[in-house]
Amino acid sequence: MSVLDTLVAGAQEDRQQRESVLSFAQLQRQVNALTTTPRNAYQWLKSDQSVPIIAEIKRASPSKGFLSAIEDPAALATQYASGGASAISVLTESRVFLGSFDDLDAVRAAVDIPVLNKDFITTPYQILEARLHGADLVLLIVAALDDKQLRELLDFTHQYGMYALVETHSQEEIDRAVRAGAKIIGINARNLTNLDVDTNTVRALLEHIPQDVVKVAESGVFGAVELEAYARAGADAVLVGEGVATAEQPELAVQRLVQAGNKVKLSQARPLSTHEGPYFGPYGGRMVPEALIGALDELERVYKEAKQDPDFMQELHELNRRYVGRPSQLTEAPRFAERISERVGGNIRVFLKREDLNHTGAHKINNALGQALLVKRMGKTRVIAETGAGQHGVATATVCALLGLKCRIYMGQIDARRQALNVARMRLLGAEVVEVTQGTRILKDAINEALRDWVTNVADTHYLLGTVAGPHPFPSMVRDFQKIIGEEACKQLHEYGVDHPDGVVACVGGGSNAIGVMNAFLDDTRVHLYGYEAGGYGPEDGRHAIRLTPGTGQVGTFQGAWSYLLENEEGQTLDTYSISAGLDYASVGPEHAWLHDIGRVNYDYATDTEAMQAFKDLCETEGIIPAIESSHALAGATKAAQDLLQQGIENPVLLVNVSGRGDKDVATAGKWFGYLTDEQSAALEANGAHGNATA
Amino acid sequence: MQNAHTTPALAAGTQPKGFAHTPSATAEALEHRAAQNQPAFIGYMPYGFPSAQTSIDALRVMVQHGVDIVEIGLPYSDPVMDGPVIQRAALSAIEAGERIRCVFDAVEAVAAAGAVPLVMSYWNLIFHYGVNAFARDFAAAGGKGLITPDLIPEEAGAWFEASERFGLDRIFLVSPDSTDQRLQAVSQASRGFVYAASRMGVTGERTTLSSSPQQLVERTRKAGADHVCVGIGVSTPEQGATVGAYADGVIVGSALVHTMLNAIGGDTQQVNACLDALGAKTAQLAEGIHHARKA
Repeated sequence: MSVLDTLVAGAQEDRQQRESVLSFAQLQRQVNALTTTPRNAYQWLKSDQSVPIIAEIKRASPSKGFLSAIEDPAALATQYASGGASAISVLTESRVFLGSFDDLDAVRAAVDIPVLNKDFITTPYQILEARLHGADLVLLIVAALDDKQLRELLDFTHQYGMYALVETHSQEEIDRAVRAGAKIIGINARNLTNLDVDTNTVRALLEHIPQDVVKVAESGVFGAVELEAYARAGADAVLVGEGVATAEQPELAVQRLVQAGNKVKLSQARPLSTHEGPYFGPYGGRMVPEALIGALDELERVYKEAKQDPDFMQELHELNRRYVGRPSQLTEAPRFAERISERVGGNIRVFLKREDLNHTGAHKINNALGQALLVKRMGKTRVIAETGAGQHGVATATVCALLGLKCRIYMGQIDARRQALNVARMRLLGAEVVEVTQGTRILKDAINEALRDWVTNVADTHYLLGTVAGPHPFPSMVRDFQKIIGEEACKQLHEYGVDHPDGVVACVGGGSNAIGVMNAFLDDTRVHLYGYEAGGYGPEDGRHAIRLTPGTGQVGTFQGAWSYLLENEEGQTLDTYSISAGLDYASVGPEHAWLHDIGRVNYDYATDTEAMQAFKDLCETEGIIPAIESSHALAGATKAAQDLLQQGIENPVLLVNVSGRGDKDVATAGKWFGYLTDEQSAALEANGAHGNATA
Repeated sequence: MQNAHTTPALAAGTQPKGFAHTPSATAEALEHRAAQNQPAFIGYMPYGFPSAQTSIDALRVMVQHGVDIVEIGLPYSDPVMDGPVIQRAALSAIEAGERIRCVFDAVEAVAAAGAVPLVMSYWNLIFHYGVNAFARDFAAAGGKGLITPDLIPEEAGAWFEASERFGLDRIFLVSPDSTDQRLQAVSQASRGFVYAASRMGVTGERTTLSSSPQQLVERTRKAGADHVCVGIGVSTPEQGATVGAYADGVIVGSALVHTMLNAIGGDTQQVNACLDALGAKTAQLAEGIHHARKA
């Protein structure tokens, strides 16, 4: 006899005992005389905003034995309810689970949320008993019932205004439950070898259940980890036993589960274009010292207010127009497109979004300006920022000069030497430039040092982060300041008579120019989105900054957010490499990590060689010298065109974001293409003018 | 019912571990000192610095000279809460080939020496090792809790779960500008003690301490914390005595690490000299801290 058979047989013996005292007819009369109606458990367990918790009063189980005495089930139920539980599960089986109808009565009297009666129910008599004792929901175990029994018991339950939690543990049982008309299905699908929640198995099982059925994960939920795994795999609600019944503070334990569920729901909110942090799917968050929480809260609050303030938006708009030079042009690039068309054998149209024409020569100013206005609004007087290639540092120094803010830029010593001209530029603009000699002396070390400064001087200092990475609210806020790129492009394409682009292409370092150009198109499924990371010498070589291609980045937390990052087998951050300092970063913005996982954006990479070829192509065909960062997008345009043709899209139209101009890269490119004599190159090298000279 | 279908695997006792329900070892150590009207001395040293073996020797020296609770640092490539001294120590440990799985040797050594072993780690290292796996291996080695400088309670779902399973302490931080609401949230989430940063900023020695830590300790207690220890910037016996007068424990890091910096790349003689200096420094600090409340 299986454990289940034994439990069912025991339950039937007990039921017969009770029925000999109170007949079915008598019981039915008592139930019919009830003046109360059951609570609608279905509505309590189906929610768009949360993952409802069914918290269980559980003293023991066959597999774990005795768990907890629970002398006062009503008190425990009350704690569950105040922790935010949506339903309470009460075991009435007495032989193994040590439950009773007294427990059910006590819990029913104590709480005003749905109560589930868990027992080994195989007869209508037990369903009436549950109802008499105030249950709103009963358990039916598919494995203990044949199809006819299941359907009859389900109908009987519904007839009395209750719902049944129909427990299954295989695809076959799920199909039986659905056929029988179950409205709430419980899944007991733990990996029995290691007892982990296998999200792929669960997802596969849940996929076939109709949308209107509530899916309850029933097994192995102990805490936030399993809850999140189940919820991301598609469970609507979870049932928790031991994890709450044996907790030192049951109310707090339930509260943590509720919060974890809310977090999952929020993190998946649509539409994509207006999705707000802190979470983008499982990524983002605030992985920072507690000392920064006050400043991040303040920034979030002030930014929210500013967004609603017409005066603030007007000031930003005016400065964008009169100072930055927005809107930036959208230029069709027919001769460049011809080169791509020749390579891929199709008829490609290319439009370039000219962020290179902005004041300071890149998209970085969009964000720097927005945040600097917020600094004034917050009443802070000092701005710090990190910079890799110097573009964001120059943009920040520029807006600080414009608005009269004290400015300090952190730059890794290696970057500062290879971008000596930008260092001079920032100093001309009145900024203090600090060369960071800690760590590996590149962008990530500059960010570390900026974070240390911020932790120390947070009262009067704002950290003007340059990309859609870092802790919340930076990824959402920087996106908002950059999304103007795509919004303008969308309108400008209409002026060309193009309804929508087939592909949008951008380079991805931290990812702010890519998010900026893509945001307006995220919810338009006709538009294919392509992001190109810095391939360096290629993934096999190891010298690259590719985070999103399989075998490169791993999920982890870095500099304030959960995302993909390049790390070694110990979890230590790896050194990155790219010919373009602006893409040379170990992690990537959390929104990109999410867009990668949900398949909305195709991420690939362009190597140094490919990027430099595209750099030259654009110079020669259109008379535009792009930044080497942007040249990764231009190189990607060929790959994107190929992909679109393969998908059967004829005469594809590409929108490519030229995120910055290449003046800063002339020494690097001149050396790369041999346009400088060895002597000239050596002289420039001595001045640190070569972008790729890692002195 | 979820446990009705008992399989051989389940019957063989492979059910996941439930709540440990063990009392907080860190709190007990603090209470033990408190019973003698003394604050506890909590000392920090990164594991693997300047080498695996020397770091274990250093931890032992610290315990022998009066450290009650040891904060074993896990060296990380990007330590945003640490100042130059600890950064340098961490970098040298990584360069010397420090391995996280070997930190449990240090945990065992501290436990064997009679102090409470805690680990201080940036979260990516623990996440990468596996939160549950780390908790399991750490607890098995005699570890008692984690200090997590870049993990706030809202992000700590997996850590709550693992720490409850293995009975480990969760030590979160508060800082002088934390709001009362934050202090409450952190106090409620912490187990063992709350780590109060003496000032805004990163770790490192300071010649003077402001008066704000005392206020922070009082506010944190009012917010519900049973025990509050103060760290960051405490580097002399006098400072230890001042802080120890009102805090449950005094945390010293950079001042101890400083004594070992000359051991980087040094010969045996140099290393021994550093260990002697560490012992002497620890003893002075212990004298100051443990006698903080005897006027």
